[in-house]
Amino acid sequence: MERHKGAVYGYLLRLTARRDAAEDIFQEVFLKLVHNPGAYGEREKFKAWLFTVARNAAMDHFRRESSRRAVACSEGDAAPDEDGSARAALDAVAASEPGPAEALENKLLGEKLARALEKLSEDQREVFYLRHYSGLSFREIAGMLGLPIGTVLARMSRAAALLRKELGK
Amino acid sequence: MDCGYGEKLILYFYGEAGAELKAGMEAHLKTCAACRGSFAALAAAEGALREETPLPSASVLAAVMSRARAALAGEKRRPFFSWTWAETAFAGALAAALVMAFAAAPRGNSPELAWNSGLDSTLDSVEYSLYRTQSDQSASAGDWDYNYGLLNAEGQALDTTAG
Repeated sequence: MERHKGAVYGYLLRLTARRDAAEDIFQEVFLKLVHNPGAYGEREKFKAWLFTVARNAAMDHFRRESSRRAVACSEGDAAPDEDGSARAALDAVAASEPGPAEALENKLLGEKLARALEKLSEDQREVFYLRHYSGLSFREIAGMLGLPIGTVLARMSRAAALLRKELGK
Repeated sequence: MDCGYGEKLILYFYGEAGAELKAGMEAHLKTCAACRGSFAALAAAEGALREETPLPSASVLAAVMSRARAALAGEKRRPFFSWTWAETAFAGALAAALVMAFAAAPRGNSPELAWNSGLDSTLDSVEYSLYRTQSDQSASAGDWDYNYGLLNAEGQALDTTAG
């Protein structure tokens, strides 16, 4: 857990944009490993397996949230703002660590990046975060997602083009 | 305008390009502003994400470690006789196999054993045949000694009659 906790938590935080949800899923993932060590069958790299479990747990969380929101909407409650997920993620990340004064520039870049990431599609964001946090190769990521490697690379390429446009590079 | 190098740029940026692709990309980047911009945007994004090191709260980490230790302790405290059904079935099958092997194994002193026991190297095949007809195939050495004694007496009797 020590080796992978930062990467897995960071990935979950970016996906969910909520600290409480990320922590819940984080617990679920590592306790699954503790209670069922045989689940890892050594057919793939441990990191790929771990991130697959994390991703599936996050997807389950989204499904539960989605049905909960559907019930809330039908009862007249307002649904949370989904478009601000990247900004919320940045806020959650910023809240999780102290902000030294000298990191103001990074914070500003981070805000600009958050706005840029908001413009990415869900598919593009997923691949981008997975690559960054897991460090897995694109071939491994394609295997995890059940997609051709060309599709994964195309999503990353479009993400890079969009980031270029939003960051003014 | 799409230069067609978008996916190659991704492989190049993330260090997954072979030597030929790497050389091709480096040449292309000198002439394509769009690819240079995408490269810079990826570098900025990756750098910004690397600056952030979010971790779960200490209480969450402690809860996971505590439950992990409890799960491992539960495994170690498992009583010796709390076998699973598979373990019980295996132990039963092994015991049955051992019983059957013991039952099928030849018991007692086989004639070969008695013959080759080295008790009396002068004992020849005739005397052995006599031993067999007179012996009740008992496994005990005492029986053998007794019967051998009878043979000895009979042999002496034979010598006497022979003159």
